Amino acid sequence: MTRVLAILTVTAVCFAFLSGLVYSIWQIGATTTPVDLPALLAGNLDDSGVENPVTAVLLNFRSYDTLLEIGVLVIAGIAGISVAKTSSLEDPELRTSDELLYALQRWLVPLTLLLAGYLLWAGSDRPGGAFQAGAVLAASGVLMRLGGIPMDFLRPGLMLRLGLSLGFSVFLLVAVASALSGSRFLAYPPEMARTLIVAIETVLTLSIAMVLLALFVSAPINNAEEPEEGGS
Amino acid sequence: MTLWLMAGLLFTPLAWAVLTLLTGFRRGRAITWLGIVIQVLVSLALWAVVAAEGGFQYPLGGWQAPLGIELRMDGLAVTFVLLTALVAAASGLHAGFYLDPDKDWHRYFWPLFWFLWAGLNVVWLGNDLFNLYVGLELISLAAVGLVALGGQSEALRAAIRYLMAALLGSLAYLLGVALFYGQFGSLSLSGIASALNQDIAVEGSGFALILMFFGLALKTALFPMHRWLPPAHGIARSPVSALLSALVVKGSFYIAARLWLELGATLGSLALAQLLGVLGGMAVFWGGWQAFRHSKLKQVVAYSSVAQIGYLFLLFPLTWNTTEAVIIQAQQAMTLQVISHALAKAAMFLSAGNLILSVGSNRLNALAGVSHFLPFSLFSFGLAGVSLMGLPPTGGFAAKWLFLQASLATGQWWWLVVLLGGGLLSAAYVFRVYRASFVEDSDIDHFFHPSRRLEIIPMILALLSLGLGLMAEPVLSVMALAFANGEGT
Repeated sequence: MTRVLAILTVTAVCFAFLSGLVYSIWQIGATTTPVDLPALLAGNLDDSGVENPVTAVLLNFRSYDTLLEIGVLVIAGIAGISVAKTSSLEDPELRTSDELLYALQRWLVPLTLLLAGYLLWAGSDRPGGAFQAGAVLAASGVLMRLGGIPMDFLRPGLMLRLGLSLGFSVFLLVAVASALSGSRFLAYPPEMARTLIVAIETVLTLSIAMVLLALFVSAPINNAEEPEEGGS
Repeated sequence: MTLWLMAGLLFTPLAWAVLTLLTGFRRGRAITWLGIVIQVLVSLALWAVVAAEGGFQYPLGGWQAPLGIELRMDGLAVTFVLLTALVAAASGLHAGFYLDPDKDWHRYFWPLFWFLWAGLNVVWLGNDLFNLYVGLELISLAAVGLVALGGQSEALRAAIRYLMAALLGSLAYLLGVALFYGQFGSLSLSGIASALNQDIAVEGSGFALILMFFGLALKTALFPMHRWLPPAHGIARSPVSALLSALVVKGSFYIAARLWLELGATLGSLALAQLLGVLGGMAVFWGGWQAFRHSKLKQVVAYSSVAQIGYLFLLFPLTWNTTEAVIIQAQQAMTLQVISHALAKAAMFLSAGNLILSVGSNRLNALAGVSHFLPFSLFSFGLAGVSLMGLPPTGGFAAKWLFLQASLATGQWWWLVVLLGGGLLSAAYVFRVYRASFVEDSDIDHFFHPSRRLEIIPMILALLSLGLGLMAEPVLSVMALAFANGEGT
């Protein structure tokens, strides 16, 4: 009986949610927006320093959001390594000894590294950029890790923490330098906008890849005892 | 001058997060204290600027909204910035002595602490729906990381549960943001409000607002979506619990309040307002009752947070379709309740941490006889409790008094039951802790004495919460002055 009731409730909630969503989207389709943001964006694209509108939004018009989003990634990385069991890196059981993987790796790793570089470069005038390049870079790191290639920089230590925070720090330094030179927080000087954006994207790629890889590597086990404080 | 202050406010927490990430616990502590001094001074200066000149907009990167992101620094925002500075400073100082410097993973407390602070400032200043979402994400992830710190299985379980609730809330909020963007073509909150005032594109946006309220209420742990809160706030280290209860849950509530005050008049409805109020009222009773029943000290304090959050949701029915004077009164009541609860609850968690440190257990009946040994921390706990009960002259009393007047002015007498019953329940659970600590027939004869530094910090917070009722006038005048200023810009 309670089971039937539960199913009925869940169905009713899902139905109400879906119909509300459909109704809203229907209404959105029927109205024109009072603000035409794409036109505004196209009008200001020349001042942004890059040709790809997505990159212009991410790294110039709404760079504050991107700066904070990178912060979110760094937090995720910190949370990951703070619960990590450090010895897991040397754990031989975690390595695979798959012949096929080794063979594939020789082809795939150079290719993915190249692809990551291309995505980063393409970001300024067509789809691509730091996030995509970082994800691809992290994927090749995962492959290398599965293949048992030692990557000492992933061991919890200063190198790992430097790598995690590199992109964020450079981005933040640019933001502060702009504030110190007299204009607003995060306002790039127009003639340097392109150089700065490419520099930020490059270090971001490294840090994003580092965060994703660190999350893959850390295993949340900690056997040390702490005095009881909560517990339900 | 203002530009420098704003850059300092935004920059310091983010930069200090990186600096403390690169150092160990002890050096991170020294760096953090320097940062705390800077942040408190900057927040005080900004408060003085807004008090003297009124609120202002701050376009980031030099791009105006809706193309870029504009921050809104008005009275309410600056009040919360200052409150955050006080509570975070107290928790940070306490944590510096409370956490064991020799445990390697405690070094990660500092970067997460600073990211949390940065995220809170983002939310208080946010005037852009997506920017607010990013702020929420910063807060939630940093808070989850702080709960999980160290990675014991019990803490991990609570943290994962917290993470799931927070993510669901974020996604619901984000879906609402996407619908708003589709409807209005803008993410700026004031832009949407001014479009609404010209009667453009109202149909269908009510659903987006409901989705956002669902997400934010889940993140604020409104009854009956509060189940994730007591385990997470209970298991975390005490300075972390203080931050979570005092500030983190207020972040999502603040966004809901801002949305309601800007858009509620056109998009809200009587049913939605009353529903939120009724859930808040039920939270007051249920949270109070659970706090009264629970056998563990920190869970008592955590359930008390569930109850105190409930009062905040009276803002919604009391500002629906009424006169400007009553709306201002309800806003003042909400602001005072947020401030007094933040100060009192931080004091309570920090002194609870001291009590646990000295008896080595979280159970209530382990406190037997503690009144001989630790009257100072126990006294802070009680003073904070007085504010939660809403006795004069505390901030809690002033807040409830204003809520009461707003209820009577709008003819909604039924909230009186919540206001009075909630106060009685809080008295019941605070006295229960006291009763446990005054039991005489205890055969435990060794108590660990925490250092004076640990005891003085909750005392200061409790005294501030106690005195808030007397200092309410300047606080409220700044908050209300700038609300009028922030409107219609």
